[in-house]
Amino acid sequence: MDFTRPAPPSGRALRSYFLISALICAAICAVILITLLGQTGPVLSHNPASLFGTVWNPNLGQYGIIPMLYGSIVVMVIAMAIALPLGVLTAIYIAETRSARLRGIIKSALEVLAGIPSIVYGLIGVAYISVWVAKGLDLQTGRLILTAGLILAVMILPTILTLTEDAISNVPVIQRENARALGLYRHEVILDVVLPHARRDILAAGLLALGRALGETMAVMLVIGSLDRLPSPIFNVLSSGQTITSKLGRELGESAFGSAHFSALVLMGLILVLITLTLTGAAQWLINRRPNGVEAIYD
Amino acid sequence: MISRAAKEHIFAAATRAALGLSVCILAFLLGAIIVRGAQAISLDFLFMPSRDFGSRGGISYQIFGSLLIVLTAGLIAAPLALGASVYRSEYIKNTAAQRLFDLALYGLNGVPSIIFGLFGLILFVNIFGTGLSWFVGAVILAIMMLPTACMATISAMRGIDTPYRENAYALGLTREQTALRIIIPQSLHGLVTGLLIGLARAIGETAPIMFIATAFSGAGVPSSLAEPVATLPTHILALAQQAADPAALQNAWGASFTLIALVAMFSLAAFFARARLLPLSQR
Repeated sequence: MDFTRPAPPSGRALRSYFLISALICAAICAVILITLLGQTGPVLSHNPASLFGTVWNPNLGQYGIIPMLYGSIVVMVIAMAIALPLGVLTAIYIAETRSARLRGIIKSALEVLAGIPSIVYGLIGVAYISVWVAKGLDLQTGRLILTAGLILAVMILPTILTLTEDAISNVPVIQRENARALGLYRHEVILDVVLPHARRDILAAGLLALGRALGETMAVMLVIGSLDRLPSPIFNVLSSGQTITSKLGRELGESAFGSAHFSALVLMGLILVLITLTLTGAAQWLINRRPNGVEAIYD
Repeated sequence: MISRAAKEHIFAAATRAALGLSVCILAFLLGAIIVRGAQAISLDFLFMPSRDFGSRGGISYQIFGSLLIVLTAGLIAAPLALGASVYRSEYIKNTAAQRLFDLALYGLNGVPSIIFGLFGLILFVNIFGTGLSWFVGAVILAIMMLPTACMATISAMRGIDTPYRENAYALGLTREQTALRIIIPQSLHGLVTGLLIGLARAIGETAPIMFIATAFSGAGVPSSLAEPVATLPTHILALAQQAADPAALQNAWGASFTLIALVAMFSLAAFFARARLLPLSQR
């Protein structure tokens, strides 16, 4: 019997294992972009002018992506318009009451919410929110751009609330004490001192939430009604619509690989990923930037 | 002109109203899932296969399929995340290169989930010709888990005190030996926690696997790597689209409740792993 320990792997083998794993991790993002880019050929050579149109009709060779782009942006704007003020005001309350117990309860509830899969939000949208919207506004269907915006607002609320609360709590106490000592009211301390100090982190939270809202697929796809047309009039959010993600979710399975139809979908996906990457990058840059000037003294 | 004192009251009322609304939304979401889910759950439901496209019967194969895909994904992601983290933390000393590596990770983290599905559909299903395969789904989910697992491991490695490395080098250990004997054992809690958080997220994902790894009905236990399986998220998707049928909706709530229970299980495991696996030196 041989009781000696197995020989440890050689240094060279270990080193190459570390290096190869690192290269794989670092390269995947680029590989995804290149793979997508490689499939956009057919539609670009087929009828590039139709891409900027408002008509999507694969049978006639028309692949206007404007309705989807519009849908994505409008849904995102509705979600942010609701979730940002709600999230920031709630975060102010939680951070400024300085009740450790309230903070703990809400924080753990938010972590539970953040863990709910998006398909379950979609189910809630189908079973409750779209029904409420249809009844409340007396419409035939509740599957509208507005409904998608509402469900997205609920989905990004935990992200905004958690990150904003962290940002507000991180503002040094001395800033508040000084402002109070100068005779400012509580709301003035918050609006004129605390929020400006935390503005960069709040902005970063907003950008991350924007990225999430744009990339969200399942919940939006179930409640938006999947209509590939611009609403008329243009700001009528009570009409069905389509976002880039819901379009991909609905049609990727039906389009033939290599066709102009498929490549038009890939092109939309590429636009989506470039926007979200820009948002993530900007948020990361804001978070990592070192404070300067007066802020640096207090941080 | 409103007085400052009045503004103070208005502002306080606004924050209170916001808190009230947020708490209502929170309570509604949790309440709906728990109440509707608890009505649908039974032992039969958990351990019976589904019938009639899922509107009758249980979800046993969906639970099996979901666990199969994510646990395989975890096994694929673990060695990659470990190796990459060691390289990032112990070998890359150049700040610009470190930033570039972190940027690639954050970028990967920011890619929308449907794009991973699209990527898998193009590269694996069509170019490599695998067809619908649960293993391809596991590979894609492994890629999605990588940033979370890497970031947690790297930050655990950053937490190792410098004297550990200095002592190792003073004893004549090479960089590889230091990594193998000191760095990896001392940062294992980060890897395990990161992987479990990644698993908790991956098991709820629908968009990345719906085109490449799953079948909506009729899928059982796969006999090879290149077969689709049924999963909980895609099952909920199929049932949500038949929401007019109360039985289908009931099963969708049951499947959602089960899915969230699995997410909570992995999250709790991550929580305890962080506490239990932390090396003595860092407690």
